[in-house]
Amino acid sequence: MRKILLGTTAVVAAGMLSAVVTPAAAQTAPTVRIGGSMAAYWGYTLQNGRSNNSGLAGGTTQQLTTGSVGGTAQNLGGLAITGPIPAAGGTVGGPLAVGAAPAGIDGATRMGTTDFVVLPAINFLIDAKLANGLAYGAQIALNMNSLEGRQFTQRRSSAPRTTMSIDEAWIYMRHPTFGEIRFGDEDGPVGGLMNAGWITGFGTGGVFGAWEQFGTRAANNRTMTAPGGIGDNSKIVYLSPQYFGFDFGASFSPNLGEGGSSGCPNDIASASCDRAWAFRGASGAGITAAGGSIGARRNEFQLSARYRGEIMPGLGVQASVGYLGSAAARDITNAGASARTMRGLDVWMFGAQASYAGFTVGAAYSTGAFNWFWGNLIRGSRNGQQVTAGIQYTMGPVTVGGNIVSGLFEGGARSAFDPATGAVNALAPGSAGTAMQRRWGWGVGANYRLAPGLDLIAEYAYHSIREPLVNPDINLAGAAAAANAGRRAQTQVLLVGTRLAF
Amino acid sequence: MKTPIILIAAAVLLTACSSGRLQERDEFGTDDQRELILRQTGANPRDAGLVLFGVDRSRQQAEAGGTGGGISVNAFLWRATLETLSFMPLASADPAGGVIITDWYAPPNADNERFKAQAYVLSRQLRSDGVRVQIFRQVLRGGQWVDAPASAGTNSEMEDRVLSRARELRGMVASR
Repeated sequence: MRKILLGTTAVVAAGMLSAVVTPAAAQTAPTVRIGGSMAAYWGYTLQNGRSNNSGLAGGTTQQLTTGSVGGTAQNLGGLAITGPIPAAGGTVGGPLAVGAAPAGIDGATRMGTTDFVVLPAINFLIDAKLANGLAYGAQIALNMNSLEGRQFTQRRSSAPRTTMSIDEAWIYMRHPTFGEIRFGDEDGPVGGLMNAGWITGFGTGGVFGAWEQFGTRAANNRTMTAPGGIGDNSKIVYLSPQYFGFDFGASFSPNLGEGGSSGCPNDIASASCDRAWAFRGASGAGITAAGGSIGARRNEFQLSARYRGEIMPGLGVQASVGYLGSAAARDITNAGASARTMRGLDVWMFGAQASYAGFTVGAAYSTGAFNWFWGNLIRGSRNGQQVTAGIQYTMGPVTVGGNIVSGLFEGGARSAFDPATGAVNALAPGSAGTAMQRRWGWGVGANYRLAPGLDLIAEYAYHSIREPLVNPDINLAGAAAAANAGRRAQTQVLLVGTRLAF
Repeated sequence: MKTPIILIAAAVLLTACSSGRLQERDEFGTDDQRELILRQTGANPRDAGLVLFGVDRSRQQAEAGGTGGGISVNAFLWRATLETLSFMPLASADPAGGVIITDWYAPPNADNERFKAQAYVLSRQLRSDGVRVQIFRQVLRGGQWVDAPASAGTNSEMEDRVLSRARELRGMVASR
């Protein structure tokens, strides 16, 4: 017993602190620390889905389910509203038909293959402790890469990519006996805090890494159906102490808004308003939009249990089971009645990983009522499932690894809400949206640590999306769209770069 | 819905049954870019960055851990050894080499025996094998002090006391 290491690891030391804290010495005045990070990558990108949309292309439609134009005069750039329009002050829920295009403006964009991406961030960390052992503080992360840059159709009202925005911001209180509470914009226990089996500790995260910064959003070619994609919407999180290797977590969030009470202007409550529990267009807002702040998800809760331990000398294992549940906002009929059209989230996530002699292997499986991007399903849609596996190896300053993800989701809805009748009607068999969507990808990467906080990275990632009968390129129209139905939207990125954190 | 409720109930039951171990921030996952880089490159997220207000306790701990102050061995072990052996008169103490030698000491209730201790702090890290204590014993026979073996376990018992005190000292610094 005497030979057990006393405090050679921070984890062990932290465990012992609770037993030796003397009240007279425990109180600590707040310490305010500033840190940050910076990543810069060169990327070589190959992707399809490069069709052009100038914003004026004829024959295409854009679904505007979350904006609000009623009652106020706004310049819509010549767009004609063809969908039903509620009374002044309401929300536009129908599709917008885009005006006639100048001849020859449409067609495939000529895109280059290389680009640089820069990802700066600043963090503020506040930590203090009371005499009774209660630690408290806050963390604010300012990212300057959250936005995806200006969109042509937004003209002057959009923000540049480098606009600073808050990523995570939360207050915490941590007690040696009762555990920790975090309150603010933060990921949940299932949303990244307590997940086992997701192997991302190499490169920038492999298929879940920074390759997404390079590709366009054609067909939503992203792997956001990962723990971090659940969102850091405003929530309250509880994280328990560890008991015999086990710990538990829970969180609750009333909606998808970040910052709280977002999207609720003074005189118009739109779909993006946090507290809107029924709104026009909810059936089309199952998949989150605008950075995850707008969507139909309501009353989200997460539960998670995790085990960590060393079952043999040198062999560490970790396993977790999590549950993600939610309700969903209701839609509004033409008559002004609310209609339940969406399914709540009902997702189980299982994961396990093992580490031995520098190797870490793991896998995780998610199943239940969810669509890609953790979207809510419209009633009548089928459950989704996703599996991921990965391996990484660290030898001195070098880490190499690879991971793969494959998911089967409902994708395009196979039923539709009819605001005239208030019913959710199944699409005709064989029509677009009735098949399941396959999203899969893989990535390999390597890091070389030059110094603590600084490394060099090389990584390759591939991601593909395919849904039978569905044209993945929404900017194609007519015969081109028909010819593209059921084809694969894919992106490949090779990136090389460096990262620094302080 | 039953299963999540069972999960919660089990968690509450376990919480009520025992006291757990407080978990630090880096025991939970994150998608914060800074935190991820620091963890993956072997830097410590707890003491990285610049302290704008307050006291940089991580620097204090680093200095106390033997990287400053003229002590070339672990300062917690060094101070703990000194305090543990303080009931005996000190003959010499070399903080650079980590050697402490006491003079002969006769306990008040045993006039016919006396003890002497030599302690070696061997490590810069706070490790259980970072300290060695050797106790020498002599007994009075016919007006002469003659060497006698110390009771079994005395050395390791003293080392245990040193380690316990070192742990306390580290805890006090860490919790400031």
